Amino acid sequence: MSELLSTDTLSIAFTLNGEAIETTAPAEISLTRILRDVLFRTETKIGCEIGRCGACMVLMNGQAINSCLVMAWQVDGAEIITGAGLEKLPITGIVRQALAEESSFQCGYCAPGFVISLVALLSEEPDATNDDLMTALEGNICRCTGYHSILRGAKLAAARVRDFGARTSAAQKTYAPETKAPETAVSEQA
Amino acid sequence: MSMKIMRPDTPAEALKLLSEAGPSARFSAGSTALQAEWSLGKPKPSALIDISRFKDLRGIEAHGDLVRIGACETLSAVIGSKLVTDICPLLIEAAQRVGAKTIRHRATLGGNVGWRTGCLLPALLALDTRLELDTESGRTTRALEDWLAEPSAPNLISSVLIPQQDPDTTYGFRKIGLRAAFTPSAIAVAAALGAADGTITSARLAVGGGPVPATRLGAIERELVGQDHAKVEWTSLRDEIADLIPAPSDALRSSAYRKRTGANALIALLASNEAGRPQRTGRTIRPKPEETTLDETVLTRSAGGNRWHVRPDLPAKIAAELTYLTDARREDMLVGATLRLDEPHARIFSVDVREAEALPGVKAVVTHKDIQGDNAFGIVFQDQPALCADKVRYLGDPIAAVAATDRETALKALNLIKVGYEALPVVGDPAQALDGDTEAVHETGNLASTIEIERGDIDSGFAKAAHVIEATYVTPRQMHGFMETEGGYAEPTEDGGLAIFAGGQHGSRDRAQLARILAIPEDKIRVVTSPTGGGFGGKDELTVQPVLAMLALKANAPVRMQWTRSESVIAGTKRNPFTIRMRTACDATGKLLAQEVDVLADGGAYASLGPGVLETANEHACGPYISPSVKTRGRLAYTNNGTGGAFRGFGANQMTFAIECQMDRLAAACGLDPIEMRRRNLRQPGMPGFLGQRVAPSERLFEMLQAAAASPLWQADGADLRPGEFAGVGMAIIYQGNGLGTIPDDEAKSRIVLAPDGKIEVQFGLDEMGQGLLPSIQAAVADRLGCAREDIRPVVGDTLRTPDSGSTTASRGGYVVWKGTELMVPAFADSMLAKAADILGREPEGLQVVAGGIADAASNSQAPLLTFAQLAEQCPPDAPLTAEADFAFPKSDYTRGNARFIFGFGVNLARVAIDRVSGQVRVLDLELHTAAGPVIDLAAYLGQMEGGLVQGLGFTLTEDVLIKDGRFLTTNYDNYFMPTIRDTPDRITNFALEDLDPGDPFGPRGAGEISINAVTPAIANAVADALGQWPTATPFRPEEILTMCEAAE
Repeated sequence: MSELLSTDTLSIAFTLNGEAIETTAPAEISLTRILRDVLFRTETKIGCEIGRCGACMVLMNGQAINSCLVMAWQVDGAEIITGAGLEKLPITGIVRQALAEESSFQCGYCAPGFVISLVALLSEEPDATNDDLMTALEGNICRCTGYHSILRGAKLAAARVRDFGARTSAAQKTYAPETKAPETAVSEQA
Repeated sequence: MSMKIMRPDTPAEALKLLSEAGPSARFSAGSTALQAEWSLGKPKPSALIDISRFKDLRGIEAHGDLVRIGACETLSAVIGSKLVTDICPLLIEAAQRVGAKTIRHRATLGGNVGWRTGCLLPALLALDTRLELDTESGRTTRALEDWLAEPSAPNLISSVLIPQQDPDTTYGFRKIGLRAAFTPSAIAVAAALGAADGTITSARLAVGGGPVPATRLGAIERELVGQDHAKVEWTSLRDEIADLIPAPSDALRSSAYRKRTGANALIALLASNEAGRPQRTGRTIRPKPEETTLDETVLTRSAGGNRWHVRPDLPAKIAAELTYLTDARREDMLVGATLRLDEPHARIFSVDVREAEALPGVKAVVTHKDIQGDNAFGIVFQDQPALCADKVRYLGDPIAAVAATDRETALKALNLIKVGYEALPVVGDPAQALDGDTEAVHETGNLASTIEIERGDIDSGFAKAAHVIEATYVTPRQMHGFMETEGGYAEPTEDGGLAIFAGGQHGSRDRAQLARILAIPEDKIRVVTSPTGGGFGGKDELTVQPVLAMLALKANAPVRMQWTRSESVIAGTKRNPFTIRMRTACDATGKLLAQEVDVLADGGAYASLGPGVLETANEHACGPYISPSVKTRGRLAYTNNGTGGAFRGFGANQMTFAIECQMDRLAAACGLDPIEMRRRNLRQPGMPGFLGQRVAPSERLFEMLQAAAASPLWQADGADLRPGEFAGVGMAIIYQGNGLGTIPDDEAKSRIVLAPDGKIEVQFGLDEMGQGLLPSIQAAVADRLGCAREDIRPVVGDTLRTPDSGSTTASRGGYVVWKGTELMVPAFADSMLAKAADILGREPEGLQVVAGGIADAASNSQAPLLTFAQLAEQCPPDAPLTAEADFAFPKSDYTRGNARFIFGFGVNLARVAIDRVSGQVRVLDLELHTAAGPVIDLAAYLGQMEGGLVQGLGFTLTEDVLIKDGRFLTTNYDNYFMPTIRDTPDRITNFALEDLDPGDPFGPRGAGEISINAVTPAIANAVADALGQWPTATPFRPEEILTMCEAAE
């Protein structure tokens, strides 16, 4: 049993884009605020702070999540990857290229979150259907584009990832991301 | 206030802590709902007890014919479970409608149940779920239904036990939300109906979701059991169900709506044949199909070919490498925070900041006393204080601000500021605001502005009419909803001035406004306004800048500040809500005779651009149609309802909604198709504008009608309809004025320079807010100069580095870029060729500009003889090759009122599906034809079209900032519903008619607003095509649409 106050300053350690981070922050502030205001890592954007826009998405232990909903006291030990740290995932280049070609974004403030959602989906599900794409992007709000340009980019990315997967599996290569996520939430152990 | 965060080691310990900590303590597992609850202003719990680590609360496993799901399993885990799929697929169907995928990665099944409001509860009740509970007297199991009925005794849900679904039972779940996805429930329903040989043998019906208490409908179940399914009286049963559903009203949906739609949804689930009845559609008379001879550009990447380019700022945005102005971080930066009063209307007596100033870490506190210049700003007239001195007029009004070493300290300091005040009567209704007896929001009275026009004999017009349509159209207080909230940073400069970096739409005007407030000469202020993460008009007025500037000057240090979304909701400008009463008359042939329009606009607390919005609405009061008699009146009222201002469309889209619905209604009355009705009334090219002003050539209204007639949507089949949907098609004409009009100054400067590194630097004091200013500059200059886009470095949005090009508003940016380019480039090209000729020892006439540099004009290879970098090296650094432009936005000659000269044209078609269960409208197709001159950059133009359409779709169907008596019922994105990717139409098709009349010197028309102009009436007319009635209030109220559906049956 441990107990602290939400305003207490907490020591936390986690990895950020592969780098070990040790820092302190008030226990109740969000991971978004830790990244932006404590670590000055502003590549993760801040939108609504209640998990309703997706601007702050990061990969936490391999899953796309809203960093504004994770409080400092829940971060310790996690593996965090931001939109600027996706290079290690093999499909990131494909996704980014497809989105750029289709002119998917305008102001771009939502883009890091969308890219997180897409890379998470296509890493896990290289044969994603259009409906999978929609489901993966439901939690990302974009106010500029009306979504069709993003969908065109996402579909192009998905098609290329499918081809890439077919080619790499033919060459007996593994598809798994280099940074393998610890199996936590989606396990179905007895 | 701080909470205790407790992390017990066992469930038993957790339960003990909960009992001891009292009723305001909460278990925390995924904790996805906590922040949303706090943001609604509910107090934080006294303690959070972390239960996320207990192994015992995990696992999904079979127990005989049950599945046991650990309470801390996430919804994603439930959805991904093969076991759950096999045993109770209904739960998966329901779970897929909770939140969004990333929320479901953390939200737990136990949480959805334990909060007692989750929208899974009806499904779980229909599935006969039991809960495994840890209580003070040990572990026990209880039926979910019984647990819900009991008062909340301290217990911990350890697992959820769900029996195998019965193969002879039909299961169904339906969630009615507030938009297509990622939405709270208006109501959710579930049913399990068992039958043998056509006789109903068992029934479990449940409702819940959102504010609807999770409830089983026992009386209905008992009534159904034993009945022959084929003989059930569904209609009377529907009424019985509606009576029994315990549904409260809230700001978003009425009790009656929840009851009706809940009952409809249950009946649709139970009577499986009920929903699929064929629908009569197509009430609107179809236009005669026309052969279209228009040479339109299809706006797609594939059709665009080599006109399609990757915009220069996009790769960095996608790689999360672009630094926005709110992203700047430095160790020496202080953090600012703003104090507001929780009263929408109050007299202030005193502001005591001494305790705040004394708090360690606080570096500056500012109030109105620190203002050296005028405590007033505003684009049209200066009625808004930078910091309130004696009065607060809306909840967003700032009273004081703090700069401190970190955000937590700044927020703490705000709590130490004491404000003496007296609440004043709140002015919450614009009509009432204009009654003489109502409390005055401003000393000048509550009528912020008014405008009237009368011409022709309106009385005789109505007297002669064969048909008169009168209706009142209501439009919402739409929020811009840019993803980057208002913010940035400011720092003092060495010359005693200030540099400020904050998203905006006209840096030079921000600078002029700041100079007045700060009493600092304009030339000592630098304003940087790009890149901005979305504007749409909402960053046109000053936002954070006055407070940021004052804090930086007083602290003599850099200060950053970004409004939270909640602050942005209450403090930022919004679209002025309109009530438009419109009475339109025509003769038996459909020719208009009279148009009478009365607009009442809610200005909120301050004018900002509200008077301009009202005046623009007035200028569009007849749309592109000719009426021999016209009478208009517009009034803008001050209230305490937030504050209004500019928003894409700027009054024109509201008015277009009204007119274009009137035209369809008159067409129906006359027995004409919508195109013929419009054709009979359309202005002819070359006629004076609505105010009698001279207007620009290249009108394309008849061409747009032709495009509409040729649309395939009129003949669409219903293959994409879901069971129980009505379908309809509608159209509306687009007519949108560009520029600021004849009265305001509307001028622009620009500059082009060959920079020392060989880049061609093109400087415009416009802002890149996402619309594609940077690719537009590259495209325009590259096309005119002959170089490559990559040779060009656009420089924008910085008063130090760019000349004043006017505002990035009013669809004027595209023209300014094009015109500046036309004026600068020939002289610049001449100077480059002359210099190159000098260096190369050739004649300038024998040289040309090519990609990368200067080439031999006679050579086919296009290989540069001299690169731009080599050319730049030969120029003295203090005298680079350069050219400038200084010009006026084209204006008309009419100055008795504000009149536009340039207009954009188009037509919007919409095809909708309307759900008879919920009254929700789903837009299947949007087709947009625009005629706005040559398209500068294809991808940017397409982006403006699609983005504006979907922003207009939000205005039409789901978006409204709700305020009651000055208090915001809308607080954040959990109760403001912008379209998600599931709300966007299945198909959007875009066409541009790019040609201009011979000799038309005015180039590209604006692309920024044209696409939002007529999407609302296109959708409304499509609804009327399906149902025979026109929705007149936006966002459409599903309750009203439901009534129309019933009437249409």
